[in-house]
Amino acid sequence: MSAAACGGDSHRQTDTQRDDFGDPIHFGTPPQRIVSLSPATTEILFTIGAGSRLVGRSRYDLWPDSARLVPDLGDGMRPNVEAVLGARPDLVVLYASQDNRNAADRFRAAGINTLALKMDHIAHFRRVTALLGAMLHDSARAQTVIDSVERTLDSVRRATTGVPRPTVFWHIWDSPLITIGSGSFMSELVEIAGARNVYADINGASGQIALEDVARRDPDFILAGPEGARQINADPRWRIVRAARNGRIIVVDTGMVARPSVRLGEAAVSLAKALHPGLLQ
Amino acid sequence: MKGFRDWYWLVLAALLVAISLVAVATGAVAVPLGNILDALRGRGDPTAIAIVRDLRFPRVVLGALVGAGLGASGAALQGALRNPLAEPYLLGVSGGAAVGAVIAFALGATSDAVITLASFVGGIAAVFVALAVARVGGRSTRADMRTLLIAGVIVGAFANAAIMVALANASPNNIRGALWWMMGSAVDATWTRAGWLALSLLLAGGALVYFAREIDVLSLGEDAAASLGVDVERAGRRAFLLSALIAAATVAAAGLIGFVGLVVPHIARAMGLRAHRPLILASALVAATLVVAADLAARTVDAPTELPLGAITALLGVPFFLIQLRRIT
Repeated sequence: MSAAACGGDSHRQTDTQRDDFGDPIHFGTPPQRIVSLSPATTEILFTIGAGSRLVGRSRYDLWPDSARLVPDLGDGMRPNVEAVLGARPDLVVLYASQDNRNAADRFRAAGINTLALKMDHIAHFRRVTALLGAMLHDSARAQTVIDSVERTLDSVRRATTGVPRPTVFWHIWDSPLITIGSGSFMSELVEIAGARNVYADINGASGQIALEDVARRDPDFILAGPEGARQINADPRWRIVRAARNGRIIVVDTGMVARPSVRLGEAAVSLAKALHPGLLQ
Repeated sequence: MKGFRDWYWLVLAALLVAISLVAVATGAVAVPLGNILDALRGRGDPTAIAIVRDLRFPRVVLGALVGAGLGASGAALQGALRNPLAEPYLLGVSGGAAVGAVIAFALGATSDAVITLASFVGGIAAVFVALAVARVGGRSTRADMRTLLIAGVIVGAFANAAIMVALANASPNNIRGALWWMMGSAVDATWTRAGWLALSLLLAGGALVYFAREIDVLSLGEDAAASLGVDVERAGRRAFLLSALIAAATVAAAGLIGFVGLVVPHIARAMGLRAHRPLILASALVAATLVVAADLAARTVDAPTELPLGAITALLGVPFFLIQLRRIT
C-alpha cells in the first residue's frame, strides 16, 4: 500500500522499497529500540503503539505528553550523531532533508537500520504510517490510523463542498515574512477545510513574500499561531492588510496544525469550524 | 622580553596531545576510559567503537589539522604582507569557497566530496581573481603587496554579497546548511576528509616552511628585500598562494573558523619567536591546540546541541590573547 504514494508502480511486489534518500528499506525483525527525529514520526509511532520502543526523540517532539518522557537527543536536523548512537537504537527515523544526509550515512555505517522520509504532504503521512506499520509487523493497526484520519478528512471535505470558499493567508514567520505554498500539507488542509490559500501559486512548501503583496492579494482571513497573531496585532504596518485591520485573524494551534501526522483530521476540523462557523456540528 | 627556549616545543606538543586525549575521551555519550582504549583497538562494544573510532577520533584529528593550517597560513601571510591584521580569510578565500559550495548546491550536487571540492576550487579561484585585480590596480605586471591586500578584501566582499543574494530566497533548509558552514564546524569529520587535509597541509605547509627564509626577508620591507637580492614579487606571490591553498583546504574541510589565523601568530610572536620557520611551526601547534579545545567545548558545553565552532574559537581565543597582551606590555 505504501507504493501508492509513488503512483501506480506495477512492480510493487518485486521491487525493493527505498526511502527518500534512495536507500533500501529492510523489513526484518521488528525494531525494539527506535530513535525518531521528527515530531510527525514520533506522533505516528506513539499512535500505532510503538511508543514504548522509543529510546530517543528530537527536542521538538512533545506530543503526545508521554513523548516528553522519551530522552531528548537535541535537534532533528543535523542531529548529534554521537548522542543517537549512544541511545543504541536498532532503527533511526529522520526527515529526508539534505541537512540530514551525512547523519543518515553515519547511522547506516554503524550498522543501524535507517529510514529517511519526506513529510511534506498528506500523502506522505499515509506512506510513512504504512511503512512504519509494516516495519513493526502491525500493518493492521497502522491501517486503522490511516483510515480514521482519512474518514475525518473526507467528512470535512464533504461538509465544505459547495460553500463559498474564503481566501486565507498562512502567517508562518514575521521577519522575513514567510508563508505556505502548495507544496505543503498545510495548503492542502486549507483546501479541505473549504478555503483557498492566496499563495497556492508558490510551488514549494514555503516561500518568502512581501507585506504589500499580501495586501494586494487581500485575503479574507489570516491564519497564524498565537505568537504570530500577537505580532500582527502589535505591528502597525499590518494595517495595510484588510483582514488584519478588521481583526479577521484565526489563531491556530501550531503544535496540531503544523504537523503532517495523526492529528491531520483534528486540524482540518478545527480549521473548518473557524472558517465556516456552524457548518460542522 | 624573554626569548623562546627549546623546551617550549615540548610543552606545546604535550599540550596538544593532552587536550586531544581529553577530547577523544569526552562527548555527549559517556564512555568509560577503559572502554575508550578498547574501542580504539576495535574491541568490545560496537557502539563505543563507532563513537570513538568513527566520530570522535577523526573529528579531533580534523580539528587539529584545521587549526594547524590556519595558524601556519596566518603566520606566513602576516610576515609576507607585513600586516598584523592579515589572516587566511582576508584574501577572498572564504568568500570564494562559499561561492563554490553554493554553486555546487544550486547545480544539485549532493555528494559530500563534490561540495568539498567545489568550495576548494572556489577559494583558489578567488585568490587568482584577487591577484589579477591587484595587477590591474597596480597598472603593471607586478602585483604590489598593498594593492593585493585591498584586492583580496574587495573580492571577498563581492563574494559575500553574492552569497547573501543567493541565500535570500533559498529554502529554509538550505539556509540552515549554509549557515552551519559559515559558522564553521568539525561535525562532518571523516577519515577521508582528514586525509585530504593532511595531504594538502603536508605539501603546502611543507613548502611554506621550506621558503620561510624568504618571508623573513620580505618582512623587512619590499625595498630592503629587493636590495638584499630577493625577487620580491615572486617570493611574495609564492607565500601568498601557499597560504591561500592551505586556507582553502581548511575551509573545504570544516567551513569558516575565524580568529585563529589572525591571533595565534601574535601569540607565537609573544613567546619570543621572530624567524618565520619556527614561527609558522609554533603557530600551527598553538592553533591546533586551540581548535581542538574549542571543538571539545562546542560539542560538550550544551550537549547534545552543538555550538558553532567558529564562535567558540573566538570566545576562547580573545581572553587568551588579552592575557598575552598584558604580559608583553
